[in-house]
Parts: sequence; C-alpha cells; structure tokens
Amino acid sequence: MATRIDPDVKFIREMQAAGGESLKKCYQCATCSVICPLSPEESPFPRKEMVWAQWGMKDKLVNDIDIWLCHNCGECSDYCPRGAKPADLLAALRNTAYTSLARPAVLGKWMSSARYLPILFIIPAILFLIVWAATTGLTIPEGEIIFAKVFPTLAAIDPIFILVTIFVIFTFIYSVGRMLSSFREAGFVPGENSPSLLSSLGGVIKDQVLTHVKFKDCETNQDRYPGHLFVFYGFIALAVVTGIIAAAYWGDKLFDVGFTTPLALWNPVKILANLGGIALIVGLVYMTRSRLNQDPKMTVNSYFDWYLLGVIWVVVVTGFLAQIFRLADAASLAYTIYYLHLVTVFMLFAYLPWSKLAHLVYRTVALAYARQIGRAGFRE
Amino acid sequence: MADKKTGVYICTDCEIGEKLNMEKVTEYINEECSPAVMKQLPFLCSKQGVEEIKKDIDGEGINRVCIAACSPRVMWDVFDFGPDVLTERVNIREHAVWSFRDPGLPEPEDEELADPLTMMVRDYIRMGIARLEKSEYPEKEPLDAVMNVLVMGGGLTGLKAALDNAETGYDVVLVEKEDKLGGFAAKMYRQTPTKHPYTQAENPDIGELIRKVESNDKIKVMTKSEVQLIKGAPGRYIVTVNSGGEEQELNIGSIVLATGWKPYDANKLGHLGYGKIKNVVTNIELETMAKEGKLVRPSDGMPVKSAAFIQCAGQRDPEHLPYCSAVCCMVSLKQAKYIREKDDDAKAFIFYIDMRTPGVYENYYREVQDDPGIFLTKSEIQEVSEDPDGQTIVKVKDTLLGEDLEVAVDLVVLATGMVSTISDEAVLKLGYRQGEQLPDLDLFNGFADSNYICFPYETRRTGIYAAGCVRQPMSMSTAKDDAAGAALKSIQCLESVNRGLSVHPRSLDPTYPKFNMVRCTQCKRCTEECPFGALDDDEKGTPEPNTPRCRRCGTCMGACPERVISFDNYSVSMLNEMIAAIQVPDDEEEGGYRFLVLVCENDAYPALDMAAMRKHKWSASVRFIGIRCLGSVNTQWIAESMSKGMDGVLLLGCVYGDDYQCHFMKGSELCNKRMDNIGETLERLQVEAERVQQKQVAIDQYDQIPKIIDDFIEEVEGFGPNPYKGF
Repeated sequence: MATRIDPDVKFIREMQAAGGESLKKCYQCATCSVICPLSPEESPFPRKEMVWAQWGMKDKLVNDIDIWLCHNCGECSDYCPRGAKPADLLAALRNTAYTSLARPAVLGKWMSSARYLPILFIIPAILFLIVWAATTGLTIPEGEIIFAKVFPTLAAIDPIFILVTIFVIFTFIYSVGRMLSSFREAGFVPGENSPSLLSSLGGVIKDQVLTHVKFKDCETNQDRYPGHLFVFYGFIALAVVTGIIAAAYWGDKLFDVGFTTPLALWNPVKILANLGGIALIVGLVYMTRSRLNQDPKMTVNSYFDWYLLGVIWVVVVTGFLAQIFRLADAASLAYTIYYLHLVTVFMLFAYLPWSKLAHLVYRTVALAYARQIGRAGFRE
Repeated sequence: MADKKTGVYICTDCEIGEKLNMEKVTEYINEECSPAVMKQLPFLCSKQGVEEIKKDIDGEGINRVCIAACSPRVMWDVFDFGPDVLTERVNIREHAVWSFRDPGLPEPEDEELADPLTMMVRDYIRMGIARLEKSEYPEKEPLDAVMNVLVMGGGLTGLKAALDNAETGYDVVLVEKEDKLGGFAAKMYRQTPTKHPYTQAENPDIGELIRKVESNDKIKVMTKSEVQLIKGAPGRYIVTVNSGGEEQELNIGSIVLATGWKPYDANKLGHLGYGKIKNVVTNIELETMAKEGKLVRPSDGMPVKSAAFIQCAGQRDPEHLPYCSAVCCMVSLKQAKYIREKDDDAKAFIFYIDMRTPGVYENYYREVQDDPGIFLTKSEIQEVSEDPDGQTIVKVKDTLLGEDLEVAVDLVVLATGMVSTISDEAVLKLGYRQGEQLPDLDLFNGFADSNYICFPYETRRTGIYAAGCVRQPMSMSTAKDDAAGAALKSIQCLESVNRGLSVHPRSLDPTYPKFNMVRCTQCKRCTEECPFGALDDDEKGTPEPNTPRCRRCGTCMGACPERVISFDNYSVSMLNEMIAAIQVPDDEEEGGYRFLVLVCENDAYPALDMAAMRKHKWSASVRFIGIRCLGSVNTQWIAESMSKGMDGVLLLGCVYGDDYQCHFMKGSELCNKRMDNIGETLERLQVEAERVQQKQVAIDQYDQIPKIIDDFIEEVEGFGPNPYKGF
C-alpha cells in the first residue's frame, strides 16, 4: 500500500531554522549511515532521517528514537559529499524535540530563538528583585557578607527552587511519557523477553552515561570527550554539594544537627564545590573552544548550543565571582553578582526541559528504551 | 611529362643498417628493378639525407623517389619534394626490421632466395617501385564553387551557425519554416543557466541572437520557407526553396542542417494519464502556461499549488524512445521553480529514474534541490489517476524513502523527450539517386548523427553538416558549440571543394575516382554501394560521378567487377603489380609461406606501426599493403594473390556494426560481404575458404595485432601450402 505523502514545508523550514539548514542538500548516497560508528545495522541513521526531513515527513521524525542514539560526533557531516550535514540535522531534530515535547509549549518557543531571551531573563530577574526588595529594600546589608541576608534560604531560595524542581520533575514525567509513547507509535515496542525499562535505565547509566563510552566511540571528535566529561562530573559534584548543604540546612533547622553557609574554604564540602566549579570551567573551556574551532562547512552551531553554553558559563563565573567578592569583602559587588548567579541558575534549571540540557533526561531514557527493545549500535 | 626516373634511398639508421644484409638487398633490387639511382644513407630524414635526394632530383632528373625507411605516417613533411616528384614510402622499419621475428628457416639452397629479412625488405622495395611505376601525377578536378552556406532551421543552433559563418566571412541563406526566428528557445519562459555560477534560470536571451542575425548583411533570412529540393554537389548545389507558395532556386555551396527537434507525441503516453486526465500536461505545455502567466489547472482554472514532474516520460523506454533526451532533467528542475515562484508553500515533486545534470549543471541541481518545497526521488511510476476532488494522484514505487508512496497534486507534468525532425519526414529532400533522406544506420534513433568521437557534424552526405538537436538531444549551450562546429565543417567543405580537394576524412587529397566508361556494364554496384551517395546515374544505369560529394574511399573501385574505376595513385592494376612484386618461394619448407595482408590506412595501419614501435614481433611470412579502406578491396587482388601461390590473404580493417569505427561508415562491412562471396568461389576451386579472412582492429588494440596475424597463419598453415603454388 502506497503511503500518501503531503510534505510539511513549514516543518522543513523549522528544522532548517533549528540548525538543519543544509538538510535539502542530501542526495541519499548513505555515506553517513555507513560511516557512523553508532548507527544500528537495521535501518541505520542518519540517512533515513535526511530523506524524511527533505520530504517534510514530520510524523516519522518526531517519533524517531535514533536521534537520541546519535552523540553528534559529526563524522557523517565530515564525509558527506554534498555538505548536507546530517549531524546538524539530528541536532536540529533534538532541538525541535526539546521545544515540542514539554508543556507549556510557549516555553519551547521562547527557548528556540534569541529573540525571546529577554523574557526568559526577566522572569527570574523580577522574582529575585522582589525577594531583594522584601528583605533589605534593594539595599546592600551591612556587616559580614552572608547572602542569606538578602536571599534567605527558608523564606525564598528553598521555596522557589523546590517549586522549580517539582515543576521540572512533573514536566519531565509528562514529556518523557510523550516521548515513549511516540516511540511505541513508531513501532518500537519491547518484546516479551525484553528487560524492564528500569533495569535498562540502570544499565545505561552504569555502562554509558557514567563512562561516556559513546563519546569515545566517536573517534573523529575526541576533543568533545574530556569537555563533556568534565562538565558532567562538575555538575554531579555541584549537585552533591547542593544536596549536602540543603540536608545540613534542614538538619540544622529541624534537629539542630548540621551547619549553615557560608562554609570555610577548607571545609570538605566547600572543597568539593570549588572542585566541581573548576571542573565545569575546564569542561566549558574545552567545549567552547571546540565549538569556536569547528569548520562552518562541516557544522553550524545553533542558538540551542550557545544558549546552554552561555548560561552555564554565567552560572559558573557568577558563582566564583560571588565567592571571591564575598571573601574580598566587596559587599555591593558580591550581592549583585550573587543576584545574577541566582537568576542564571533559575534560567538553567527552570527551563531545563526545553533546553538542550534536557538531553540529560531524554537521551538517557531513550537510550534505556533502545536497550530495552534491543536497538543497539553496529559495534555494540 | 618527362620519362619515369626512379631513385631508391635506403635509410641505415633506426636499426635498419645493423639488422639488414644491405649488400644482398641492393644487389637484388639493382638486378630486378634497375633504378636510376640507389643509395644507402644514414639518418635519411636529416637535412643532409634530404639534401642528397634533392641533389639527385636536380642533378640526375629523378622524378620518382622511393624512400625505404620508416612508416609513411612519420616524416611525411620531410620527404615532400614538391608536385613534380612522386614519392613512395616503403615502410621497412616498422613492417620489417622492428617487427621481424626470425622463423629459423634453414639456409636456402635456391639461389633466388635469401634469408627471411632480406627477402622481406627486397619484396617491400620492389612493391614500392612497382607502385611508383604505376602512379600518375595527381590531377585535381577543379571546381568554381559557390562560396555560401545554406542554414536550414532558424532556431538557436541555426541562428548561431548562420552568424558564425557570416562573421567568418561567408554568405549565408537562413531558411526557417515558421514565420518567426528563434524556434523553441524563443518560446521559453526561462532558460536553464548558461553562466557562472549556473544556479539561476535566466530570461531567454535568444532575442539578442535574432537581432544580430537579422542585422547582418551577409545573412539572407527566409522565414515561412521550406527546402523543396537539393540537387548537385557541394560547391554547386541547386536548392529549390518554397517561400509562402513561391518557389525559387538558389545556388549553394554547403549546408548546415539545424532543423532541431520536436517533442515526442504525448498521446502515446496514455499510461501516464495524458489525454485522459486534463491536469496531465507535457513540459512543453507547462512552458507555454508559464510564459503566458497562466499556471492554473486546465480542468478548473484553479491555481497550481502542487505539481508532480514525471521524468523520462517515454525516454529510456524501449517501447517509446530508447534514449535519454539530455535536457529534461534540467528543464524539470527549472519548471519546478515556476511552481514555487509565486507561492512559498507550493510543492513540486520530481520523480526520476536518474537525475542527469552533467558537468557544471550539477550546480543548478543543487540549487533547486535546496528549495524546501521541491521534493526529489528516484522512483518508478506505478499509476497516474484522478481524485474525485480534482487532484491527480501519482503512485510510485522503489523510492529513496524506502517505501511506496503517492502524492496528490494539482498538476502532473510529463517530461517528454526530443525526437529528431528528420526521423520521420524528409526534411532535406535530396535529389540523389540513393534517396532524398540521409541514409540511416539505425544506430542513432533517427538522429542525423555519425560517429560522435571521430566525425561529429559529418553526415553521410558530404557538404551537409548536422548541428544541434537534429543530431543529438542536447542543451542550448552544447547546441551553440555544435553550431560553431558545423559552421567550421561547412567552411572546410567550401574551401576544399573549391580547390578540387577531398574534404574529409582524406582531407586535401587531390585524387578522385576516374571512370573508364567504355568498359562499364551498368551493373550499378558502384552507385548502390557508395556509402556517401556520391554517384547518380542515367536511365541506363551509367554512373554519373559527383566528385565533390566523394570521400575518396575507393568503395566504388572495390565494387566494380570490370575495374573501370581508378585513382591516379591507387588502382586495381597498381595493387596487382605490387602483389606480383612479392616473391613467393615455391617450396614453403625452404623459403616459408607467404601471406598478403591488406591493411586499412585509417586504424589498422597505425595500429601496426604502434605495435612495431612497442617491439611486438610477428611472423616473417606476411607482406603488408596499406589500402584506403577495406571497402576498396577488389576481389581481383585476392584472385591475383591466390593464383600466384600465396597461402592466404588477411584483411585488417575497422570495426563494423553497432559500434562501427569505419571511417567510411560502410567500407569494412561491405568488404565482409564480398569476402563471403570470395569464400564460395575458393571452395569451388577446392581451396579452403578460411585462407581469406577479414579481422576487425580498433586502434587501441595494437597489442593484439601479433596474435591476430600469428593465429591466422597458424590456422592456414594447418591446411598446408596453397595447392596452386608453383603453377
């Protein structure tokens, strides 16, 4: 039975705008699928994604699990005889997934173009200004620099970020559910003897996420391996620190066992925090340098790439500067920078499901699902 | 004319001197031929060598020079002693010294015999002298040619050919059937790119060319005119042209045939919906719609928001046109843009077998492919049908999408192909005995093509040069180049026939076939077999030569059973004399077998030279004679050889058939037919038919020549010596 096809020209333009600008150049030679170190043997990517994209076959593409199997090494784009940049298309498809999977959809729209960046900034900016106004009336408090004087943990930071966390978690539950049902719609259904999704998830985290083994498989683009690894473990370290501090704070408050910030520099938790921050900076330097050095003929950096990189940079830099100015006793600078730090941390986490960072959830789940249904790369 | 006085000059360089027993050779030649002068000179092609010969010409009155040295294909300019001296080049270097393989025969007891290499060289020099004895001074047939060109067809190719001819200084008559010049090119909305970077379709620029042609004093434009009759020959054609009912006769020198193409009849494409579904149109019809600004559905006048282009609508299909029409892929890419031009959400699908955009046209393919609203896939059309809501459904299989698919579109465009205008109607209307059309080799699908590598533009009627799409389907850029090529050919023809020289491929040959009508029996073989229709005849069948049409291949000479046709330096009796000059040992065990090899000068002879230069060796029992074409082989030569006791005759000539390489199109093929007859005759005489064979050699097969020769000899030696030897 022949499939009726009515290409969605608007969707093609969207993908072109989302980073896949060269997708129409493909002439389906399949060099990309042959060269890809991660592509499965059976109906390999990215050739089929290229032809679906050229023909505006949105239904196929939004349900495609393979976009998450790709780790964007760019080998396909390097070898493409037409300069069609398949790697960029897959990145664009992931970008499209970030903006379209989660609800409310308007956030996806705001995240997709620099045009809306002021809105994204202004929301936390006003929020934390209100806090500031409520605590010290927008003035710099006297005495020892303690950020909680302006942004109290109990009254502001924790409620805001706990709400943000709950919002993000629920958003992800909803969007991951949508993603999995789209995979099933595309015919990717676990067989009778398949392992459970949970055990697959455990396996993926253990075998792939923690080791970054797929990055190593992408031989052409080895630079990205240390960069991503540093950023990944930097974040883990900071997440652990945040967890300890939150636990200590509430332990202190409720059971009187624990401590409050600021911590001394020699405190192991503080050391871990600074190490995490340094790891982030090292990783960011790697990532930024490799993006800047990329051959524009081979790949194009999208807004999604720069948004995430930029926000993380600001988070890290403001974090360190806040600490430095605090120790230097430069109160007005320290508080202002800390304010900016809070705003960008909010931007990083509250919008996470619509940002490129959402790959941390989507890709992990998709890889787990792929493992569950037995869709493995050629070399696995 | 002075008495014949022959001088023989033997070069001793290029290994000739060291390998050859010069004393024995010269002694024999002196005895048998007694030339006025005979000299052995080192480095004969040097200034000193040539001076030595010239000294004898001036001092001794030598007027026939026999150069026994290298191949006539080299140093031909060095050994040119002017029109009063006949020169014969005896190729003892390639044919003898370099390719000689010692058969290891015992020392001959017979005094007349000698060692095999000496005998070989003796034979060749004797043959050369025999040829000189029989040669006449070449005599041209002068002609006061009409120095103008008739261009048939006022489309792009014709206009360009007319302009090129006029700008080179020749008068042109341009005859166009329609009332306006420009042809298809003038009916286009846009033309495919012609300029760097070849990414944008252009507004048609044919108007500029038309203006240049119309304002050129040397070009006489006749619109609404058709050629009624072409009589005569190059340089003296009389062409009857009908202009709006009025006939006039024009004197014409040569002709450029640029009548172009017509679209394949889409009514034969019912399986693609044409004629059954209103919204199925041809690419020509779409072009007109676009030009008129009416891109609407023919069924209801609604704007076209989507279109499907079906490539190869008839082309590359054995049921319709077995060939590719060269431009349809580019045309559909261009027309897909028409659909997209006014509506950014419009869609154009192109279903192709292969996307053929050769060379720099790839840039345009890329450009169009990059359009988000244009969708391309390789596919096979399954069905074109109509939807109740007025859309047309195109179903295709074997697509790049990995599944069968269908699209519903407002318009289906069939990319129909090109058919040559001469394929089914007599456009030329020649008053030639062999018919009014160009003879069709059934190799070019009705196009007026010849071997496109060796003889582009040349038709099988000398003086008529085809260019543009009447010759091959081609793009407008190629057609412009074609026009220039055919214009140059038409000029070459004028200039050559005006000097009484052959046009091509024996360019500048002054000799031509002379007919001794006294002995003609009006058998008509020459008039029928001439590959170029050069001969007409009267009502009794007596041939009427038209020398300017002739290409000097000698096919008529080979055909004539009465030997009434000969050239000043090439005739049946001359080759008979040369064959007679070959010494055939009575006893093959003492002197070896003898075989005659008649070698076509076009490809086989150079192939032999190449083989020898590369130090290939072959049997020493062969004797080569270069000939103009296998078509010129007269059965007399075979009879002469066999009756004098030679053991076999091998004919080396060009490939014939579908991939023919014969420079005279039909020569080697005709020869092959004649050899069949010879075989029958031989068998009647109780001689094995296999003693006479024809082999086809392409010029790049030089390395196979030794094997061809040796295999032939081995086969014939299996039969034993010629039973008539010694009679």
